Amino acid sequence: MSQPVNTVKKPVSIKKTILRVLLYFVVLDVCVITLYPYFAMLCTALKNRVEIFSGDNILPVTALWSNFIDIWSRAPMAKYMLNSILIAGGSTIIAMLCGIPAAYALARMKFKGQTAFLGVIIVSQMFAPVVLLIGIYKVMLSMGLTDSILGLIFINAAFNQAFTVWLLRGTFMGISAEMEQAATIDGCTRVQSMMKVLLPVAAPGIVTTLIFIFINAWNEYTVALCLISTDILKPLTVGINTFNGYNIIEWQYLFAASIFAIIPVVILFMCIEKNLVSGLASGGVKG
Amino acid sequence: MSKLTAPKAAPAGSTTARSGKKVFRKIEPYIWIAPSVILMAIFIVVPICKVFQMSMNQVTKTNQLKGFNNFENFIKVVKAPAFTLVLKNTLVWTIAVVVLSTVLGFMLALVLNNKFRGRKIARAIVVFPWATTLVIQASAWGFIINKDYGTLNTLLMKIGLISQPVNWTPTPEAYFAWEIACGIFVTIPFVTFCVLSGLQSIDTSYYEAATVDGANYWQKLFKITLPLVKSSLTVSTVLNIIYVFNSFPIIWTMTKGDPANRTDTLVTYLYKLAFYNGKQGEASAVSVIGFLILLVCASVYMIYTLRKGDDDL
Repeated sequence: MSQPVNTVKKPVSIKKTILRVLLYFVVLDVCVITLYPYFAMLCTALKNRVEIFSGDNILPVTALWSNFIDIWSRAPMAKYMLNSILIAGGSTIIAMLCGIPAAYALARMKFKGQTAFLGVIIVSQMFAPVVLLIGIYKVMLSMGLTDSILGLIFINAAFNQAFTVWLLRGTFMGISAEMEQAATIDGCTRVQSMMKVLLPVAAPGIVTTLIFIFINAWNEYTVALCLISTDILKPLTVGINTFNGYNIIEWQYLFAASIFAIIPVVILFMCIEKNLVSGLASGGVKG
Repeated sequence: MSKLTAPKAAPAGSTTARSGKKVFRKIEPYIWIAPSVILMAIFIVVPICKVFQMSMNQVTKTNQLKGFNNFENFIKVVKAPAFTLVLKNTLVWTIAVVVLSTVLGFMLALVLNNKFRGRKIARAIVVFPWATTLVIQASAWGFIINKDYGTLNTLLMKIGLISQPVNWTPTPEAYFAWEIACGIFVTIPFVTFCVLSGLQSIDTSYYEAATVDGANYWQKLFKITLPLVKSSLTVSTVLNIIYVFNSFPIIWTMTKGDPANRTDTLVTYLYKLAFYNGKQGEASAVSVIGFLILLVCASVYMIYTLRKGDDDL
């Protein structure tokens, strides 16, 4: 933001240096505070119970890496992990299969009710599943999808539909339709021209959308908490609370398991962070 | 884009084939949007209808609907002594989290928009809380502020700022304040990235021109930056109002709304009503009330976005 207009004067450069130092100071502070919970989690995950409850040390006296192994036998962690992958993966696939054609129609065709459809999409984005939990529960009950991973997949896909359609529509509209028109003239059907011409060009936007839905579904907690009662069907977000018992909280295991739940999404998020900024500009969406 | 959909000169052929094609062209877009519409209809619209239906009906303990009961569910809910408190908590929670995270997130975006060494790393770090599921964030903060063994006390004692462990959560209200702090912490990244996306689209020549005209930093901030990121800020604020209002995991993980509803918001309250106390009719009424509050926000947002997007529709 500060434009170097070189009126080389001593006071200016001193002021600039101070500002620089201040800038680094602020950034450093923000980073430290942001990372602190993760640091605390990691340290705690490496302690034994006595050491945690004494509250004497910040760093573990001896790093107990075995906690990271123990959690796999203390709770069906592998199952939780697999469930999370299934739920997030399944939701992503369904959300994309439904969202891509809809976004394509919105970007490339004109039809009656287009604005209304967009409006409904935006409004639907406004309602987190929590408010509708009772209704969702009833619907799931009538379809026999309570306590099932498939049910969670559909719910997550549906509640991410708004985001998917909105973001993909933006991506598609940013791509000129000329290539597709040429393909159509060459005898491609509309589906072919979309698959072969538009989608490869739109790949970066599609990948961003995909990862974002995956993360949202992976992090989803409330509906899973409400719908799933069988332990081995729980996703990680709900499952890790096994260590958060009524009488005693096994912090070391809770945090060791949490770290397993965090790492994949943080990595994915960092991959799309750049694209997400431009995506937000066109849509304005949060998970 | 209208070129593709504009009716082309019909190829020579029988009139039935031509009109068949015409009909297909008319309904084609609806086929394309059908999967999306069906998915949302079943899993969003039907639940909405169910909630409304149940809120109007007398619901027995075994979840049978016993017909329209003159808004009795609503009357019961509103008359319950806890409700005013819960509503107040919800307002405090939403306003505090949204306002503070917007201000802090905006400032952070201004900082991160500068060019400095390590900017990429800093941005990657800032995104962490956004990517982490709220349950885990909340349990981490719950652990940090624990009065007996939390690391905040340990840390402050090691530094020498305090000599005795401090009870950070002496009252439910204090706990609620920490929940708000946690909410702010996880909401800031979203605001920051929204504002950053706005900031990056500002043409630097504006600032150059302003500098030539002798504008100082604050003038540039208020006369150029703020007006130009206003739309990003509006989007993030309205969305945040809705998401924060609906936020369940933080409060649920840290206090479950206890003790005696003093840290409850509408969503935790309705969850308990529905799934702990078996009062599904009343819980649905709470849902509807929350739904209507949000609908107002959603309408504002929709009008705003659609107006903004008019030219590209």
